[in-house]
Amino acid sequence: MTQSDPRAARQPIPAVPGTAEERLAELEFRRDQARRMGGPEAVDRQHAAGRLTVRERIERLVDDGSFREIGTLAGTGGYDAENRLVSFTPAPYVAGLARIEGRPVAIGGEDFTVRGGTSFGSTRRKGGQGGFIEDLAHHYRVPLVNLIDGAGGTVTSIKKRGYTVFPGVHGFERSVSLLGSVPVASAVLGTAAGGPAGRAILSHFSVMVRGGSQIFAAGPPVVRRSLGQTVDKEQLGGASVAVDTAGTVHNAAKDEQDALDQVRRFLSFMPSNVWELPPVVPSDDPTDRCEEALATIVPERRTQAYSMHRLVHMVVDRDSDFEIRPTFGKAVITMLARIGGRPVGIIANNPMVYGGAMDAKAARKQIHFMELCDTFHIPLIFFVDVPGFMVGTKAEEEGTLREGMRAVYVAGNLRVPTLTVVIRKCYGMAGMATCNKNDIDLKLAWPTGEWGSLPIEGGVAAGFRREIMAADDPVAKEKEIEAELRPYASPFRTAEAFAVEEIIDPRETRPVLSEFVALAERRLQINVGPRLRSGVQP
Amino acid sequence: MAKTEVTSEVTGSVWKVERAEGDTVEEGDVILILESMKMEIPVEAPHAGVVAKLFVAPEDSVEEDQPLCVIES
Repeated sequence: MTQSDPRAARQPIPAVPGTAEERLAELEFRRDQARRMGGPEAVDRQHAAGRLTVRERIERLVDDGSFREIGTLAGTGGYDAENRLVSFTPAPYVAGLARIEGRPVAIGGEDFTVRGGTSFGSTRRKGGQGGFIEDLAHHYRVPLVNLIDGAGGTVTSIKKRGYTVFPGVHGFERSVSLLGSVPVASAVLGTAAGGPAGRAILSHFSVMVRGGSQIFAAGPPVVRRSLGQTVDKEQLGGASVAVDTAGTVHNAAKDEQDALDQVRRFLSFMPSNVWELPPVVPSDDPTDRCEEALATIVPERRTQAYSMHRLVHMVVDRDSDFEIRPTFGKAVITMLARIGGRPVGIIANNPMVYGGAMDAKAARKQIHFMELCDTFHIPLIFFVDVPGFMVGTKAEEEGTLREGMRAVYVAGNLRVPTLTVVIRKCYGMAGMATCNKNDIDLKLAWPTGEWGSLPIEGGVAAGFRREIMAADDPVAKEKEIEAELRPYASPFRTAEAFAVEEIIDPRETRPVLSEFVALAERRLQINVGPRLRSGVQP
Repeated sequence: MAKTEVTSEVTGSVWKVERAEGDTVEEGDVILILESMKMEIPVEAPHAGVVAKLFVAPEDSVEEDQPLCVIES
């Protein structure tokens, strides 16, 4: 328990406050103690570990002066024999209302300077896993921001309480239900295990500090006890595992300020809740901007990769992009951006990574992003260059077929307007995951577009096997049949049959998309509200 | 003085090496071309500088995350 600062209270706090002056003095004293958190030495230790305090984090994230704290006075008072307050330890959690870019949010985080941020067994929580701040977000329908810096449950409260309680029996139900009603963003800013780690995952967007924070189901001591494995916390749950390899957390930040900036950036694309549309931020980037470079960005040789990142950047509003999971599932690019100031969700295959073939991780990444945009009324635009699912032993062992078909299933259940722009390849079941037939099935294509159940190369070998085997020169025969079929694969033939809705000049991609994105607004308005989902994902 | 190790995004093989150790490069210059899944994947310089080290040669197999070269500026 921290000692009260003798300089803070000018006279002892009476056991029963009498005058107005006494009452205001007690209020000021208690608030002052709460703001001191775990005391100057504990704050210094936090800084020495390269971490900010929870109050500093809130201040750096929210609009200046907008933080209205709730539960400031929750904590433990220390009283003398005459029942006078001599000390006050605040609860290890700071929470309240604030504004981010003018819009209200509920925000809270563990105060690691007080007892390492562990819950101290009071009957009513401010936050952490469920708790008041999450009820606030629910009740007022505003986004929730979790600044996570806690280690989770502890056995030290058992003695004080006198019995054990079921894990998460009060609280997590709110964390779960919020995911369908308001944007939830979590920044993992300490070493998160147990409850706080779980809390971070029940978010629409999560970010951690590369080299600074860690997240795992249980930490090194538990791992050593259970499996005899010795591993340090960075190896077990640092960003290289949790973000890049496993996709447990969406994004990595280079430091705490970057993590907070990413939360802010993420929220700028989101409505306050599912009953509202996402904010339109007028852009001075003209929507009729044509880009000459788009005419030649796709190489003439089909086997040559190109930068899909560069392509997408030329189409969306300048500097409007925010990539989600850039280091995980790299065969697909998922990015929030704006066109004409309107938020859009971009899903673009990356030909630089296995030709853009969809593997299990890319499928998972695409599924999360589609559900995110569908829930918050952000139209989706697919930029397609996908040869199909990833093939081979490793891909099959990873369950690529199931993960990929799950992406097809989720894509097929989208309610949000979707646009498909076929840049080059669109084959097979992975290609199916880029079109939404429940929508108006609007597929635009570049003249470089090519599609089908499978490509001619490989398709001929399978479909014309007998003729090829019977030929004097099978290799030449295969090439002959391929050459015969190739003209039929011209995208213009498909356009003649109106089986692709339009082939556009690549340079006009931005103006064309701008029109359809603007058109989508009426449809978004009709469909506000929560998404009801039924059916079982395969 | 920035020293960046460029690693492979894919498992595949080295098809062509376009630059040698000691060459000066601009951001975006193609240093080598990998082949994977029948695709030619250019590996570009992340920033301007000099190719300080080149770890691979044509026909070498490469694994995901394997270091390919070091660019120093």
